[in-house]
Amino acid sequence: MFDRRLLKNFDYQLLLIVLAICFYGLLVISSATRGAGEDISFVYLQKQAISIGMGFLAILVIISIDYLDFYRLSWYLYSFNLFCLGLVLFVGREAGGSYRWIDLKILDFQPSELAKIIIIITLARLLVEQKERLKNLSQLLPLLLHVFIPMIFIFMQPDLGTALVFAVIFLGMLYIGGVPEKNLLIVIGTGLAVFPLLWTRLMDYQKMRLIVFFNPDLDPLNHGYQLTQSMIAIGSGGITGKGLFAGTQARLQFLPEQHTDFIFSVLGEELGFLGGVLLLALYLLLIYRILKVASFSKDSFGALICTGVATMLTFQILVNIGMTLSIMPVTGLPLPFMSYGGNSMLMNMISIGVVLNVGMRRHKIQF
Amino acid sequence: MDKKMLRRTRLFIFAVIIIFFFLVSRLAYLQIINYDYYWERAEKNRLRILPITAPRGEIFDRNGRQLVTNRPGFTVSLVDLGSGYSEQTIACLAEFLEMEEAEIQEKIGSQYYRRYLPVRLKMDVDIETVSKIAEHRLDLPGVMIEVQPIRNYVLSNFAAHVLGYLGEGTVTDRIIDFWGEKGYNYQPGELVGQAGLEQVWEPFLKGVDGGLQVEVNSTGQAIREFERVEPKPGSNLYLTLDASLQLIVEDALNEAINLQLEDNNAYAGEAGAVILDPQSGRILAMASLPSYDPNTFREDYPQLLQSSGRPLLNKTMEEHYPVGSVFKMVTGVAGLEKGVVNETERIYCGGTVTRFGATKSCFRGTVHGPLNIVEAITKSCNIFFYELGLRVGIDDLAYYAREFGFGEPTGLQDIFGERSGIVASREYKEQLLGEPWYPAETMDAAIGQGFSSITLLQLANYVAMVANGGIHYRPYLVDKIVDSEGNAQMVAEPEVLHRMEVNDSTWEIIRQGMKQVALAGGTASRLAHLPVRVAGKTGSAQVAGRGSDIPSHSFFVGYAPAEKPEIAFVVFVKHGGTGGTAAVPVAEKILESYFAPDIPEEEKDV
Repeated sequence: MFDRRLLKNFDYQLLLIVLAICFYGLLVISSATRGAGEDISFVYLQKQAISIGMGFLAILVIISIDYLDFYRLSWYLYSFNLFCLGLVLFVGREAGGSYRWIDLKILDFQPSELAKIIIIITLARLLVEQKERLKNLSQLLPLLLHVFIPMIFIFMQPDLGTALVFAVIFLGMLYIGGVPEKNLLIVIGTGLAVFPLLWTRLMDYQKMRLIVFFNPDLDPLNHGYQLTQSMIAIGSGGITGKGLFAGTQARLQFLPEQHTDFIFSVLGEELGFLGGVLLLALYLLLIYRILKVASFSKDSFGALICTGVATMLTFQILVNIGMTLSIMPVTGLPLPFMSYGGNSMLMNMISIGVVLNVGMRRHKIQF
Repeated sequence: MDKKMLRRTRLFIFAVIIIFFFLVSRLAYLQIINYDYYWERAEKNRLRILPITAPRGEIFDRNGRQLVTNRPGFTVSLVDLGSGYSEQTIACLAEFLEMEEAEIQEKIGSQYYRRYLPVRLKMDVDIETVSKIAEHRLDLPGVMIEVQPIRNYVLSNFAAHVLGYLGEGTVTDRIIDFWGEKGYNYQPGELVGQAGLEQVWEPFLKGVDGGLQVEVNSTGQAIREFERVEPKPGSNLYLTLDASLQLIVEDALNEAINLQLEDNNAYAGEAGAVILDPQSGRILAMASLPSYDPNTFREDYPQLLQSSGRPLLNKTMEEHYPVGSVFKMVTGVAGLEKGVVNETERIYCGGTVTRFGATKSCFRGTVHGPLNIVEAITKSCNIFFYELGLRVGIDDLAYYAREFGFGEPTGLQDIFGERSGIVASREYKEQLLGEPWYPAETMDAAIGQGFSSITLLQLANYVAMVANGGIHYRPYLVDKIVDSEGNAQMVAEPEVLHRMEVNDSTWEIIRQGMKQVALAGGTASRLAHLPVRVAGKTGSAQVAGRGSDIPSHSFFVGYAPAEKPEIAFVVFVKHGGTGGTAAVPVAEKILESYFAPDIPEEEKDV
């Protein structure tokens, strides 16, 4: 149960922005999933609406728990997370060559999505605990391990995109947490040096995606074709777009995943530059509000959680939209609150729930 | 929040703004500065991908004889030029291709989520139709004619159940899901192996499709080619099958069926045979009749479903039968191993015997007098084996039946659908009828009647085990797989699945009996004239109650040459009468041809 007085500090604006993006997403999904005729396929809309609804329920649950309880439960959360990530490697449902989902009968659970928020919370605690020693480069090692272990699990699924999200969350939180710039640069440098080693562990299709990004002509029938078609879709939208449901690119379904990974291409074609900028503006506002909550929070733990969530969202937005604009490789990261898909929607909502939670409890309650 | 954090958070916001500015710039670059360029490209977006089907891997027999290959054929496809498909085009095509409009609509519908790919409407279209379409090109926007490889089963009906056939996967097809779960993506309308080797080895046979990125004009003709990825042909399969032997087997079985039908045997019409190498498990021939032609499978399918003799069923492994006296070696081995009989003991056959309230007789009431075990096998005396079965008991009989591989698949992995059959046992009866076992039923079990039911493949493996001293090799059909560059991807090795613990002396006694079967005085004495000695056993499995006029199933199992076995075989003629009537003559023809002196030595080298 929570105190009514907490509602005074509830950030309604933040929630409204999220809601706005979700509805924007529903609109574009309805166009992206038109069936054989020109009718809207309600199956996708219905499922996405249910995901949004479940997301709001999740927010309600999350904000009713004091986020300081997460601090106390940190190690349980972390262990549970590793357990799920390990489990998926054994009992995971295979799709497209990787094991990402656990079949829970009513829904497919994707542990790597849950892992993001858990790592943000648990890393925040570690940073708070070690605050005094962060100046020392060697003290970064336990932090590095903390993130690296789940990352390896996710890398083994294999899901390169999500594994990269962890690396970026790590860097973002270390930066806000007060690690000296010099040490951060050393960490980044080491990471880049290790990359060639990881290269040998990548699946062929992942290598292909990266190679094709640098040279689309090499794979003209698959990923190169997708990138070209995505650019044609967005570019041909112009300033005002061709109008919802009027995109010719979307209608021919040149992009096989246009309701998930390539949702922004559909938006760009049908709603144009204005539509695209509107979405980016909403995102910017969202991230700004999250960082605002961070700056008002009563402790560094809360502030670090918020900046972690902001980093995660920014990176996913950059990589996904960048991909459709051919300035980022194809990684298969969904666009937060926009892409069709229950797991990412639910987990993004939970992340927002945690941020709202921090915001609500920014002052010690006066009795 | 402390000062340092606040400062860094501000810098962070600044970085985020820069990232967003960067995205907006890129957006503006594409949508405002290059708008005209992309608008035109979208407007004329007639860039299409035309898949080039990889030639499917070919299939050869053990001597390199080509069994399955590909030939070029015309495929008519329809491509969406950006404004959908006109009713008129579809109506016109329906007429030319002799298809229903609804059928065309259905094919278009099944590909709605990849509309930039052409929809393949009909494969292997004849040249007249193709020229008709070409003449009306201007009235048929979006219609394309491609040359694609068409599967060619060189010997038509030959080994159809082994080779299998291709069929189009549809959205609701299990087979697309089946391969999808294994990470292979098939599109609706794509040809997929649906049975036999074509199904099991699909991923190897398929190859990797290539494709063309082309620009098509308003009538759907490719006017400019941008990129081309050559297909990688599928891998070739080299089988253990001996095509000349398989042909002989199929001919002989066909003849046997025809003889039965000429005799007005209303129950006849089905037959099967399996021949394998008892020293390795290689399948040299596997025939199931009646058969079908995989070349025209799709057209023939409705007829095949209704025609007599159930041609779609692989009778060598998808069905099991009561096998009668060919089972007697199991009882013999069990009796000798358990020590309840020896080589010299004679049991008296008076034509009938009454035990546990049941009166049972020898075949057609024959009186054999006193017989030892070798003579009992030679004459196929029921009375001897009733007694022996009772001495052994049902539990040990069931144990030895399982040792010989009955009651579970033999382990063939190159074709799906192998059945387990049934081993007669207390547990089975309890489960089936909820009743206890009666000793009289042990007598039936001892001569292969009653509950037990066995596949032809199991029988072939069983005689192979008698020939090789109890080794159960995994039967296999694919000897090696060679990819399009000539590299071996898989080379099969004989695999021992089970070794029976049986004394050599037992094997010798059983083999002695089986040798006598094919000599004067045995139930297959007509084989005595062959250039090689044969060891065998006839079986006449009753399928109905006593006095019924339904002919029994005719079986003959064996191996040859008896001294140094090269082949183990089973011949089955459904409702063909006694083993000697129908199955033995088939085996005679097969053995005659296989061991004929004019066959070059290397071809029968095992």
